[in-house]
Amino acid sequence: MTQTPYKILVVDDEPDLEHLMRQRMRRDVRSGTYTLYFAQNGVEALERLNEVPDIDMVLSDINMPRMDGLTLLAQIPNIAPDIRAVVVSAYGDMKNIRTAMNRGAFDFITKPIDFQDLRVTIERTLKNMEQWREALESRDKLVRLQNELNVASKMQQSILPTEFPESDLCEIYANMEPAREVGGDFFDVFGLPGGKIALAIADVSDKGVPAALFMMSSRTLLKGSAIGAIEPGAVLKEVNDLLTEDNEAAMFVTTFYAVYNPHTGQVDYANGGHNPPLVVHSDGSSTLLPGTDGMALGVFPGVGFGQSAVVLSPGDLLLLYTDGVTEAMNADGEEFGMDRLQAVFANAPPDSPEAANKAVFKAVHEFAGETPQSDDITCVTVLQRQP
Amino acid sequence: MEISVDRANEVLIAKVEGRIDGANAREFEDALNGAIGEDDSKVLLDFSTLSYISSAGLRVILLIARLLQKRNAAFALCSLSDPIREVFEISGFDKIISIHDSQAEAVDKIGR
Repeated sequence: MTQTPYKILVVDDEPDLEHLMRQRMRRDVRSGTYTLYFAQNGVEALERLNEVPDIDMVLSDINMPRMDGLTLLAQIPNIAPDIRAVVVSAYGDMKNIRTAMNRGAFDFITKPIDFQDLRVTIERTLKNMEQWREALESRDKLVRLQNELNVASKMQQSILPTEFPESDLCEIYANMEPAREVGGDFFDVFGLPGGKIALAIADVSDKGVPAALFMMSSRTLLKGSAIGAIEPGAVLKEVNDLLTEDNEAAMFVTTFYAVYNPHTGQVDYANGGHNPPLVVHSDGSSTLLPGTDGMALGVFPGVGFGQSAVVLSPGDLLLLYTDGVTEAMNADGEEFGMDRLQAVFANAPPDSPEAANKAVFKAVHEFAGETPQSDDITCVTVLQRQP
Repeated sequence: MEISVDRANEVLIAKVEGRIDGANAREFEDALNGAIGEDDSKVLLDFSTLSYISSAGLRVILLIARLLQKRNAAFALCSLSDPIREVFEISGFDKIISIHDSQAEAVDKIGR
């Protein structure tokens, strides 16, 4: 039981009952378990409820002058919706008992009052009320958490760039569709010295809040390292070393990082355990970028990361994506897979990065059908423009 | 996802059936932790009947690998289907976890 006494309002027109109750319950009152309030009819009871707003339970007779117990029952929710009411009826008065229950009474006892039974009834009623209050509190907490998640989701979306470098040489577009409120995928596109452009796409193990926190720190570390170092392999090595410090939770992030030179079309890249990006040629054929012997970041400290380079020809699209694309499932449990991704471009190579991303998302959604999206879906696409 | 446990040549062999994704990764972790006894110094995960593993599942593998490494216990995987082997290759996990073609080969390698 809690420290503050439960407040019980006893409503009965028999003047002797107050005396009897005070006598029978005196130990509980003295020990601070209950505080008793009394009223002689429904009208007085409502007055009492208004005076003492935090009454927990009402124990009410049915037949009383001025306002009977059944009318009182109907009125109580207007004043105190969470209150528990127990009615006291004549033995065998099933009609009134049914009416009382239908009007929201929690339980009933019969006259003459068996105080042992009354005690059990009171305890049971108050226990039920406690559980109800706890449930309400949990619900409120859940609503608060949901609101916080919505804020986190907005924050997370807001750190993803929505405007991309564009020139006569190249065009870039990137977007993400999170599977839950907060996700583990991220991408980044930002300018580097010498007119070069940093391109990053990454996928944190698992989803939800832990993944989102890991994603935020990964993204910050990557950007910091990218500005300090030139070689993509060195950037991933630095981020990996920082992420593996104190990584008790064994989170990891697959990361593809590239430095793109729009003037030459050259893409220097390092792949840290991420799905191999695709180069889509203007005839619709496509090739996968060979790996660079890397592994996911955050797994193993001190490892080196190799790097490689590819030169985009005019009209080539470079498509970075996460496994939310290739591992999207349909109702039969099949994965979207690499072949379907390549088939998106086979007949109709899109003329803009945005169109390319839209085509991929559309194909994935059509493939998945009614199957709910289980992973974040992210694409970053670069078009090397025709001169 | 179902796990059945067997022992051969002092190797604890946990055979994983079904799929491991974000929804049951925690259950998978608990099941493995429950299956691996304090005294087990050789642990093999048989993936012959595993149909899919997501990054959340890879994370559990990583946690188990680290735990066993701390205890100087051997840890290996065997019988990966091509798509699942690809997941381990792309993520680079094949570099830190030994992967064998068959259960017999793995038991022979890490067993007594």
